Amino acid sequence: MWRRLRARPSAVAAAAVLTVLVLLALGAPLLAALEGQDATTYHDALIDSARGGMPTGAYGGISADHWLGVEPGTGRDLFVRLLHGAQISLLVALGATAVQVLTGVTIGLAAGFGSRLLDTVLSRLTDVMVALPMLVLGVALTAVVPAGFPRPLLLIIVIGLLNWGGTARVVRAQTLSLKKLDHVAAARLAGWRPARVARRELLPALAAPVITYAAILVPTNIVAEASLSFLGIGVKPPTASWGQMLSTATTWFRADPLYVLLPAACLFATVLAFTVLGDAVRAALDPRERSRLRVGTRDGSRGTPAAPAGRIPKGAAA
Amino acid sequence: MAEPARSRHLPVPARRVAAAAAVVLLAGGVTACGPKDSSADGGAGATPHKGGTLTVLNSEPQTNFDPARLYTSGGGKVPSLVFRTLTTRNRENGAAGAKAVPDLATDTGRPSKNATVWTYTLKDGLKFEDGSPITSADIKYGIERSFAPELSGGAPYLRDWLVGGEKYQGPYKDKSPDGLKSIETPDAKTLVFHLRKPEGEFPLLATQTQFAPVPRKKDTGTKYEEHPVSSGPYKVVKNTGDGEHVVLERNENWSQKTDEERHAYPDTVDVRSGLDSSVINQRLSTGSGADAAAVTTDTNLGPAELAQIGNDKELRKRVGTGHFGYTTYLAFNPKVKPFGNPKVRQAISYAVNRQSVINAAGGSSLAESATTFLPPQKSFGYTPYDPFPAGRTGNPAKAKELLKEAGYKNGLTLTLTHSTAKNFETSPEVATAVQEALAKAGITVKLAGLEDNDYKDKTHSIKDEPGLFIGHWGADWPSGGPFLAPIFDGRQIVKDAYNFNHAQLDDPAVNHEIDEINKLTDLDAAARRWGALDKKIGEKALSVPLFHPVYKRLYGKDVKNIVISDWDGVLDISQVAVK
Repeated sequence: MWRRLRARPSAVAAAAVLTVLVLLALGAPLLAALEGQDATTYHDALIDSARGGMPTGAYGGISADHWLGVEPGTGRDLFVRLLHGAQISLLVALGATAVQVLTGVTIGLAAGFGSRLLDTVLSRLTDVMVALPMLVLGVALTAVVPAGFPRPLLLIIVIGLLNWGGTARVVRAQTLSLKKLDHVAAARLAGWRPARVARRELLPALAAPVITYAAILVPTNIVAEASLSFLGIGVKPPTASWGQMLSTATTWFRADPLYVLLPAACLFATVLAFTVLGDAVRAALDPRERSRLRVGTRDGSRGTPAAPAGRIPKGAAA
Repeated sequence: MAEPARSRHLPVPARRVAAAAAVVLLAGGVTACGPKDSSADGGAGATPHKGGTLTVLNSEPQTNFDPARLYTSGGGKVPSLVFRTLTTRNRENGAAGAKAVPDLATDTGRPSKNATVWTYTLKDGLKFEDGSPITSADIKYGIERSFAPELSGGAPYLRDWLVGGEKYQGPYKDKSPDGLKSIETPDAKTLVFHLRKPEGEFPLLATQTQFAPVPRKKDTGTKYEEHPVSSGPYKVVKNTGDGEHVVLERNENWSQKTDEERHAYPDTVDVRSGLDSSVINQRLSTGSGADAAAVTTDTNLGPAELAQIGNDKELRKRVGTGHFGYTTYLAFNPKVKPFGNPKVRQAISYAVNRQSVINAAGGSSLAESATTFLPPQKSFGYTPYDPFPAGRTGNPAKAKELLKEAGYKNGLTLTLTHSTAKNFETSPEVATAVQEALAKAGITVKLAGLEDNDYKDKTHSIKDEPGLFIGHWGADWPSGGPFLAPIFDGRQIVKDAYNFNHAQLDDPAVNHEIDEINKLTDLDAAARRWGALDKKIGEKALSVPLFHPVYKRLYGKDVKNIVISDWDGVLDISQVAVK
């Protein structure tokens, strides 16, 4: 699989972008120290108070001290805030994805492998979860939780527990078809307990679809976090997140375009990278992928299934 | 105390919108320079002419268009075009506009010696839109209606002040021939008001729309708002969507001779509401079609919009600057630990960095530094003082010292409650600026952002009131009385409804002084004493005044005769011309 992934330039590029982002997020304290700034200090001298708090200097006040300029109205350093924003966005998105996958797989397996009654109950529950307007419920939930509860954790739980329906459906469908296969039937006839059958015979076969689905969930979750923060119910100030930054920046798009473009570009790059990578993973794990079957391609006639599929340019396969 | 003045601090639509939208406020010192500029270059034909259509672009719909139900300051903006009142605000630029002048009455009222009885005489030749004469009985009936529970919404003062007002239920329930006995109408031109206690500011109250005449025969109760009978220069010809789209046309029976305050230049006024604030500002700056002759009565420019306009000479000329008596402050609840300790409150007063706070509120063009609770206008009795002088950026060292004396050597951790509404006022931006400043004095501030309604309920409830929150207060009229009394009068602590006395201050000396000042009918003398009282209360450190807002608003390129008074800080819609 790794080889097949490596052979896709788009996948490599996406992975590179994500690696850089993760490194930037993890290295935030270090980079902040290097720049000599922090995320919360106000710089009243760097903004023009009489002009609505607009940063002085070109391009939002970019300077040797402030590599990406400062925030209008406060003069806080944008570079450091962007890095801290990356931490929150990635943490929440990955955490929520983990919660979604865990819940989704558990419920999907139980529904597909359990009794008919259990299947009915769990499947209807899944339907309800899929139909729920995620954002509205997220707004409601984040509003009732006590103020002291750590916000990133709350966001992980809220996003995670509201959006596992898709995973559960995929897993249930897969489980139903796997159940009929000989090796599963043999294991059950041998008297294995259902939990063991699930662990030994089903889970390995479920890995491919679940990993693929998870890769697609991550960008959705990044956007969900940004949306909640945009609405003012995500992370609490002075913590930065990309959604929160976008939210305060929207009115500034004409006066200080860079202030809007920076978090927007970060969000865009991250979501795009995850989506591209997710697609590549799906293709790499899919045994019926055209490029691997080599149907109708020149390479196909060579009949060397082990040959790296990636040698075929994408365009040729299409 | 009476009616738990739930809306006492959101009476003025402008204020509410300021909060709701990406908008904002304030500032300063040099009053009225904006308006003067603008009238100077009031366009090619500098003299205003009659005719044309004035468009009003607003975010808040003009709901409850019934004089009994409107909560206005000085008679309101659009309402003032339709409803004349006993007195009204003076339609002049700056400080001159912050006083009451006669409207339907011949003077601003003749008080008895102790200001408990006020007598008014109506002008000659006053007519309703149907041509019938306006009599004292119509004004009395208009006031009586405002006591009806089904027509609630107005300010609580009449109920508090008029003899028998606390029990009276309005003319629909009380069918007695005399109605509310504390308002006498000895003849068709005379009104006599009997008050429970001396109220030297009665003429300022008489500007509110509850003092507009309502003909008893035309009263349709709660339906009256669909077609209120006009006494002013315009009548309502269309009102759809509960005030979302209101069209006003000339009232032919209004006579300019009886009305020195309103000009009524345009033939038609077209009020369109429910618009997003950024849309309003964009339309005003572009000014295409009907928008060239448009104004807004409730939407300010926000910091980003101001930054945008900064470079544009043409647009800069079309910004009106005004000052409304308004203060945003940190409120302490001394019943919550550790705010009972005056040293802690003083430490916070010293630690606050007003420069950062003002920047967060939109910068020095939209907010001016406050060290007094009273707004910086003469009519409020503004007396400059700063009991805890910490300079523009705060004095964290002094704050640390005070904390040490108070027994918090290693600093302390507090929670600051604020609203999550994007109003640049009680919003997260301002709270974060306070948090950052207090951190330098060793005070760790945790922010508790509440949804706006939740925030209002909690901060105005004695039971749930947090120890420290961002509060704001605007005056119902430009005087120290409605600014200080609801906040610091111990008898106005409301136990089971909206309470504005955040510190629950019940100081006999303060209460007594409030009573004494209310007896004065010389409002200049009263203003000086309000100023002195403000200083005395300020020394108790029950609040930390942060800033007073400045209103900046765009108007269309064809709009002339801009008048912005200090009464409400907003361009006066009764003065503008579009030709």
